[in-house]
Amino acid sequence: MSQKDVALMAHLMRRAGFGTTRTELEAYVEKGYENVVDDLVHPERGTPIDEDILERYFGSEGGYVGIWIYRMLNSRCPLQEKMALFWHHVFATGLGKNQHILASTNQIDMFRRVGMGEMRNILLELSRDPAMIFWLDNNENRKGEPNENYGRELLELFSLGVGNYTEDDIKNCALAFTGWTFGQPIPLYPHGYYAPPFLFVEEEHDDREKTFLGHTGNFNGDDIINIIVEQPACARFISRHLYNFFVADEPQVPSWNVTPPQDPEAIETLADAFMASDGDISHVLSVLFNADFFKEARFKKVKSPTELVTGILKLVGTGQGPQPGMAQYGSATQLMGQKLLDPPTVEGWHTGKEWIDGGLLTARVNFAVREVSDASKPGIQDIIARLKDNGNPLSPEAFVESCLDFAGPLVVGDTTRQYLTEFAEANGEIDFRDDTTAAENQALLVSMLQLIVASREYQLG
Amino acid sequence: MGRPYGLLRAGFPYFKCLSMRRTTNFPVDIAIGKEGRLYILCRSDNTAMIRKYTVEDEDLGTMGRYGQGEGQFTWPVTIIADSEENIYVSDEYLHRIVAFNNEGEHIGTWGEHGTDPGQLNGPAGIAFDSDENLYVVDSLSHRVQKFTKDGKFRLGWGHYGDGEGEFNMPWGVAVDELGDVYVVDWRNDRVQKFNAEGEFLFAFGKSGSGNGEFNRPAGIDVDLHGDVYVADRGNDRIQLFNAEGRYVQKFLGDATLSKVSQAYMMTNASPNRMRDMADLEPQKYLRQPKSVAVSDDGLMFVPDFGSYRVQVYQNMAVPLTEQEFSPPRRSVTLHQE
Repeated sequence: MSQKDVALMAHLMRRAGFGTTRTELEAYVEKGYENVVDDLVHPERGTPIDEDILERYFGSEGGYVGIWIYRMLNSRCPLQEKMALFWHHVFATGLGKNQHILASTNQIDMFRRVGMGEMRNILLELSRDPAMIFWLDNNENRKGEPNENYGRELLELFSLGVGNYTEDDIKNCALAFTGWTFGQPIPLYPHGYYAPPFLFVEEEHDDREKTFLGHTGNFNGDDIINIIVEQPACARFISRHLYNFFVADEPQVPSWNVTPPQDPEAIETLADAFMASDGDISHVLSVLFNADFFKEARFKKVKSPTELVTGILKLVGTGQGPQPGMAQYGSATQLMGQKLLDPPTVEGWHTGKEWIDGGLLTARVNFAVREVSDASKPGIQDIIARLKDNGNPLSPEAFVESCLDFAGPLVVGDTTRQYLTEFAEANGEIDFRDDTTAAENQALLVSMLQLIVASREYQLG
Repeated sequence: MGRPYGLLRAGFPYFKCLSMRRTTNFPVDIAIGKEGRLYILCRSDNTAMIRKYTVEDEDLGTMGRYGQGEGQFTWPVTIIADSEENIYVSDEYLHRIVAFNNEGEHIGTWGEHGTDPGQLNGPAGIAFDSDENLYVVDSLSHRVQKFTKDGKFRLGWGHYGDGEGEFNMPWGVAVDELGDVYVVDWRNDRVQKFNAEGEFLFAFGKSGSGNGEFNRPAGIDVDLHGDVYVADRGNDRIQLFNAEGRYVQKFLGDATLSKVSQAYMMTNASPNRMRDMADLEPQKYLRQPKSVAVSDDGLMFVPDFGSYRVQVYQNMAVPLTEQEFSPPRRSVTLHQE
């Protein structure tokens, strides 16, 4: 098993998933890169997670974010969860306005269900989703009193991007979605949330001819979506979102109409795959993960708070089975600026360097350092066992190298490596086979891991 | 009272609904005390408690606390009362049984985590027999163990599998008045019946959503007539079986607003309007019930987990003597005698 293969697979699983335990990583490497990608883009081949276990041990919508993080950690097809997070990011819908946890969590479940399928179906499900309908006021979009909010954002932020449609297109798009609303759910009190059903109210639908992106007809919302997904602009826009989320940080979405992509060829490759497959997102993802531009993009993205938290939990082996308190990890991502289910605006979270300012960086480092501080956690114990099995006393340099390997493998710059080596040298050679110094060795390992996860490089995925 | 020769099943109507959101969030089980007192066990993420209640929909306050300290529980599963109305709670995370008196004072905790005989590994269902021995479903070890009520090990049986007497993460347990033991074999979607020494008698149920089939059944109880009630959680219903395991009927839910709910709604104009705009059909149905408990006077209490309430039904079955109930028939018949 070459170090190069391990590093590439770790890169894939950080991006297409939420990190791995070392044991999982080695099993993936054994399987081979292309085979792993093929499995990742076909979640239907297996059972991603035991839903009955989730329902038995968790089973209340109030803890949804914690349960979602549990899914991220334990799904046998983590790309499915990553895509649910991706669409949550692109089709940002805020619980702060909706105030209906079941509608919001049903939306995430919908992303999980359809998010790796055809773009046409994804946009159709989105347009029928009560949380989205309420978030962008389409429940007030009626014949004779149109509300253009959803129609505008569908084109601007969800499918085409600014510059690829006119104001008239927005107006006609909105008219096509008149009457797309939801049935009033039974209110929360006294007996809990009830899911609102999608409702098409024919008498509130504007049943007249409309012109949209050069097409004329008596369009309904699904006709509009059919036209959208045939646009090369839609292919490029979704491709750039995928590139930004999975490959390397792009500028924030509102600037995309004036700032070209950093790798236009990569975007064209993905857009071609989108057009050739009629908007099959799984196919586009397969092309993305097998492309050289992806394989060469290691550590070119700032980890989102969710990626940071789940990556650390994978490293230390927390949450591998049902356990209470998963909600604390949702609180952790919130403290780092990503409150799942409640993005700040319809633009979603700003990414890249905007994930990090002084306060947010402190929260990220504090969380990571705290999690690796408990040597009894299974992931730390696994590292100790592997260092024991190494068979030789470790020089300070070898100790640093091993720890960087198990924490990623992580590539660090000269300055970071120098600091880590100086720390290791202060303690000399370490022999993890020596049981008389087990406590000291364990403490040294924890300190080294604390330094690594607090490093600048660890913020990148 | 002995088991009747037969039953005239005169009906099993919905009786009333108890409690509401805030008072009993995510009720997982209920224990029946004396003089109409009820103990409703609630559990959700980072919180758990016992709500002391009455059949008259009166809130008597809370008992027990979430946590890992003495007298606390983290992932409570089952709550039962003994003959003195002391309350016992199983905790599948802390692998122990916690006991309180009926005023909520902690009176004991026992259980040691492990897989050896007498140790606990994810205890779920608990039930007393008539001598107040405590049967504990040791779910993660796929077995049932019998203890004295202060935790002295008596016997145990079962291991992982799907054969007779084998289990896959069993959940609920109930003991009938004859001393036979019913165990809900959660991940095998069936109920198994044993005698008091753990000898397999028979099993009923299979995976599915038809009558008599289960989708991850959870809690169970048995009444004085020997009828068996199973919380068929994944199918959002309670199923009733006779003592031989023959399916009798199902309960999908018939909830009306409880007394406290009505009082609450009288001071909340906006939700009243929303209710008027909504399809109210779904509100009557059970949502993921995890347990069921029946009282000696024929009331069936169903903690309605997803709806923060307890639905109550009244059994109107009339015991029949041998003269009133003909012998068993081998075949069905069209004769109308």
